[in-house]
Amino acid sequence: MNTTTFRTDQEFFFDPQRCIGCHACEMACAECETNGQTAMIHVDYVDRFLTTQTSVQVCMHCEDPVCAKVCPADAITKDEFGIVHSANTARCIACSNCVQACPFGVPKKVEPLDLMMKCNMCYDRTSAGKKPMCATVCPSGALFYGTREQITRNRPKSSPVNTFRFGQQLVKTKVNIMMPKGATELIVDSE
Amino acid sequence: MATLPVTAENLIAQFGPSLNFPPVQGYPGRDEPDEVVKTHCCFCGMQCGIKLLVKDNRIVGFEPWEEFPYNEGRLCPKGVQRYLQNNHPDRLLDPIERVEGKGFRPIGWDAAYDRLISEIQRIQGQYGRDAFAMLSGVSLTNEKSYLVGKFARVALKTKNLDYNGRLCMVSAGAGNKKAFGLDRGSNNYSDLAHAEVVMICGTNVSETFPTLTHWIWQARDNGAKLIVVDPRLTPIARTADLHLPIRPGRDSALYGAILHQLIKHDWLDHEFIANHTSGFEEAKKAVESYDLEWAERTTGIPKDKIMQAAQWWGAAKTSFLMHARGIEHHSKGVENVLGCINLVLATGRIGKPYCGYATITGQGNGQGGREHGHKCDQLPGNRDIENPEHRKYISSVWGIEEKEMPGKGLTAYEIMEAIHRGEIKGLLSICFNPLVSLPNNNMIREALEKLEFYACIDFFLNETARHANLILPGSLHEEEDGTVTTAEGRVVRIRKAINPPGNARTDTSILLEIAKRLGAEKHFSFNSSEDIFNELRVASKGGTADYFGITYKKIEDNMGVFWPCPSEDHPGTPRLWEDRKFKTPDGRAHFHGVPYREPAELTDADYPMILTTGRVVSQYLSGTQTRRIGKLVEQYPEPLLEIHPQTAARFGIKDRELVKVVTRRGAAEFPAQLVETIREDTVFIPYHWPGRKSANQLTSGHLDPISKIPEFKVCACRLEPQGRPAPSPAETKAYASA
Amino acid sequence: MFNTLNLRAAWIAAVATALLVISILVGSRNLTNFDPALVAYLFGCIFACFGIVYRYTVWLQRPPTWRYFARGWKLFFTGRTIAYGWELTKHFVVQFLGQKFIRNRSKARGYGHMLMAWGCLLAFAVTFPLVFGWIHFGLKPGGINTYEIFTFGFKVMEFPLHTVLAEIIFNALNWSAILVIVGVMIMMRRRLTHAGQIAIQTFEGDWLPLLLLLAISLTGLGISLDYKFMEGKAHQFMAITHAITVILFLLWMPFGKFYHIIQRPAQLGIAIYRRAGAEGPQAVCPHTKEEFDSQMHVDDVKAVAAELGFNYARKDGKSHIEYSPRGKRALLAKAHLKARQKAGSLFG
Repeated sequence: MNTTTFRTDQEFFFDPQRCIGCHACEMACAECETNGQTAMIHVDYVDRFLTTQTSVQVCMHCEDPVCAKVCPADAITKDEFGIVHSANTARCIACSNCVQACPFGVPKKVEPLDLMMKCNMCYDRTSAGKKPMCATVCPSGALFYGTREQITRNRPKSSPVNTFRFGQQLVKTKVNIMMPKGATELIVDSE
Repeated sequence: MATLPVTAENLIAQFGPSLNFPPVQGYPGRDEPDEVVKTHCCFCGMQCGIKLLVKDNRIVGFEPWEEFPYNEGRLCPKGVQRYLQNNHPDRLLDPIERVEGKGFRPIGWDAAYDRLISEIQRIQGQYGRDAFAMLSGVSLTNEKSYLVGKFARVALKTKNLDYNGRLCMVSAGAGNKKAFGLDRGSNNYSDLAHAEVVMICGTNVSETFPTLTHWIWQARDNGAKLIVVDPRLTPIARTADLHLPIRPGRDSALYGAILHQLIKHDWLDHEFIANHTSGFEEAKKAVESYDLEWAERTTGIPKDKIMQAAQWWGAAKTSFLMHARGIEHHSKGVENVLGCINLVLATGRIGKPYCGYATITGQGNGQGGREHGHKCDQLPGNRDIENPEHRKYISSVWGIEEKEMPGKGLTAYEIMEAIHRGEIKGLLSICFNPLVSLPNNNMIREALEKLEFYACIDFFLNETARHANLILPGSLHEEEDGTVTTAEGRVVRIRKAINPPGNARTDTSILLEIAKRLGAEKHFSFNSSEDIFNELRVASKGGTADYFGITYKKIEDNMGVFWPCPSEDHPGTPRLWEDRKFKTPDGRAHFHGVPYREPAELTDADYPMILTTGRVVSQYLSGTQTRRIGKLVEQYPEPLLEIHPQTAARFGIKDRELVKVVTRRGAAEFPAQLVETIREDTVFIPYHWPGRKSANQLTSGHLDPISKIPEFKVCACRLEPQGRPAPSPAETKAYASA
Repeated sequence: MFNTLNLRAAWIAAVATALLVISILVGSRNLTNFDPALVAYLFGCIFACFGIVYRYTVWLQRPPTWRYFARGWKLFFTGRTIAYGWELTKHFVVQFLGQKFIRNRSKARGYGHMLMAWGCLLAFAVTFPLVFGWIHFGLKPGGINTYEIFTFGFKVMEFPLHTVLAEIIFNALNWSAILVIVGVMIMMRRRLTHAGQIAIQTFEGDWLPLLLLLAISLTGLGISLDYKFMEGKAHQFMAITHAITVILFLLWMPFGKFYHIIQRPAQLGIAIYRRAGAEGPQAVCPHTKEEFDSQMHVDDVKAVAAELGFNYARKDGKSHIEYSPRGKRALLAKAHLKARQKAGSLFG
């Protein structure tokens, strides 16, 4: 058990503007064995009235995960690879503090299970050296898992960024968002 | 005779569509499958590679097949969920026959065959051979497509065989044959990588061919400009460098106007035009008056955008143009296609690296299926059934007298019309659900009700099959070996993963048995799919779609082979026309004069809005399979009427309000979805749903004079808001609408 | 170690442990009813008591935990005690005893866990009072056929020997052992065959607890079987290994997976909190314009996050936390769109 072959040279990159809203990632995520038919990735229309733009969101695996900090039950932990794991099933009391506190809107409370579940970067696959299911099937490259060299070579007009500002709060993450070349952070705030 | 034996609701309760969801912990055995079978998705012309996990003769899950060169593991939601068509509670496990007032009851295979044979003989004896028609589909493998073509001509001896490819890409096929003398996408998608301009016309790639997006994005990463022609701001149009929101039915005007600009600014490849083409003057003359003002008036696209497109297209050194049903489903579908081809030929950008042109074939085997003979005018190798030499060659391969070979028959929609007129009395169908997929389906229903005998081979009781007298339970994609040809022209291997469950049988064995019982056994002595393929290879030899050099082993070793491949040492042809030797009689690529004409049905005071139809990402064609897969249904549970807020305001329509859409052929109610992503003069309804929720109750049966494709993409409609909000999708249950 | 020592927790744990010791002295009538054979268990319990209370107190002091703890009790005692009491009872029966939420995760897992949980609870109910000397048994004077049970030195019931009831009572621990063993088998099977479990399980977090429970149950059962069938030949081995495993269990309780037995009742507090939340005003997401959670919870999370040093204040005076999860995801996608737009192309 835990004979992990996690590839530390591989990283997760995502680009919401490449998302075509097809939900393949969501369907594939539900096939993942750690989360039993519950999809952990989120794909939504941003505002269908105005646009066909969709948001796609995996767990960003924060360096200082607020979800773990606000958990009253110590149910969320980060491992040595920086993966912030889904709630420990024995401890989680389904209070959904993490659901509201996560600035990326990732954790999901699964009502009948009385449990918070979230993306663990397909730990069953990544710990075995494979790519996460969502990034493997994504037909549009909105989700990409590979090396930093690959992404810089393939996307000459973009830079991977892992620094976010939500209002005053600076958040650093393991997962990268692809931003215009040279950008260093993504600011999420009112105008 | 045949209205439904009992109510549709009764049949739905017994045969579905019902929704299949996987168990929460997945199917048992997924972790330790008996076998991992490398095959392809059963939906759409991309034919993405996928690995199916097999346990105890059941498909229990999938794994991405990352080594397959086209999709490298990428899939769309349909591909991810495709395995759920297996293990389905609706699956037909026995032959069933119609019992008046009761529904259907199982009968043995022998009895079923006896019944079928006696009805075929009775009808053909009484009304003539051609009074028994056959309809087929291009979700079938090359082997089955070939077999159906041979079966209909040699065993059933009818000329009236056609297929649902008639609703797919026949306009593109006809256009390509006219211009190039051969019907295949000229390039594979690796030629997208360094195209400077990618123009996609009437194709909602993001929803209908999601995995193709990767190749387009790759081109853009390398600097390509993307031009999207579509009346709606589809997901792929949203980020495009240029979106041309065209008024439905005006496509050829746009391509004419662009050609006009290419000529005006001399963005032409004179050397190529002079040495390798013919008909340029004719094409030039046709567009002489198509200036920007005219184009803007006609197409509804701002003229600066048209100019921008012409400029980018004109100045590019490399380019790739693709189109799909959006320009092909028209009463001038072939003209639209020829208009596109004119742009490619004028700039000479074909037959060179990163210079491409292709239709994006829609159905699983839309490419291979249209080459080998279940089309009413065609023989294997994309031969012409009216060409004496072609007839002679195929007759010799089949071991029949040339005079026994039937001639050209009616096309799919015309067959239904002939049934309606009482000229065709019997029908055998496989892999086709015309009651959902053909236009003007109130007429289709009436036609089905007039048939004296209708037998259907299918794995589920689809909406059309409910009208049948006899249903023979056939096989799913994963239950038979074979090959298909992808939209790129790549022949790939479909591998059998499991046996048909219960008393269901393979489509092939059913057709062979019927042929035998019709007395044609000696022409149908195949022991395996590979046997059939080997005969197909010979039959296609020397035709334009030449498969002679392709073997199962070669396909497996190379993960696909591109036809034409005339000999076993030939590597296949990923890119056509590098030698500039076009397959037309004069060896040149042909320009065509494409004078603009209006769509068959125009808006007027009674029907003031343009109605167009199309697809959504989670459903596939008539939905026989995808309306039975739970999560795909939940993703987009019911057809919505997309309408611009300005237009909605004009008619007093609110979001989610039920709106009755009325055309000259029928009326149906849909919830309104107010979106700014559609033209103000156009409404859109996706067509995958049956019964009262079918958009094809409204669409028109006007056909293209050459390709006989129906005009799904444009007709005139009237909107009548019902003044009440639509019930929830859970209440409506559109997937199983009666 | 001492600089991380939580003094307040240490004091509370010390007091609790002292109270336990006093209750043992009182309950066993100054150890007269105490069974000396259980002395090792007793010390294990006393250490466990300190550890558990210490850890529980440290845990309660964490801002999010304290907020729920305080809020839960306050809600319970402000007027709606009956309604909340009913909510609690319902939750206790359905989720705590019935463990419906675990069965919802998977049937096998639900039943496996329920067997283990009931086995353990039954064993606790028997063992702790016995070890503390709170309960003892004795023959009714003047006969050899009636047994008496004493609690805190007071007789609570008597029952005839050689009856079904007697067998049930005497073998209570054996029954619990059987429940636990069956439960452990079900859970181990899952851990060996379910790929998802295999991927994320750890030895100390998932296997050790199962192995420990199995060892305790087998040796415990072994003591009885040894008496019955082997004339006590293996008694010493069984008794010692049983004692060791049980004491390990007790000492590990505050640190390892079994701590969830202590922690889990917090779920009951959440039930009240949610009921109160649902009855109060709801938060509306400024993006989706839909209700998504109780205003109380959103405010509490905002306050807790602030207490923990997170500041999501936006330029417009709103907090990022005021948006629903879906709203937050849309905000990010829109911010990204804007950044791309600014750079000149949506695609890059």
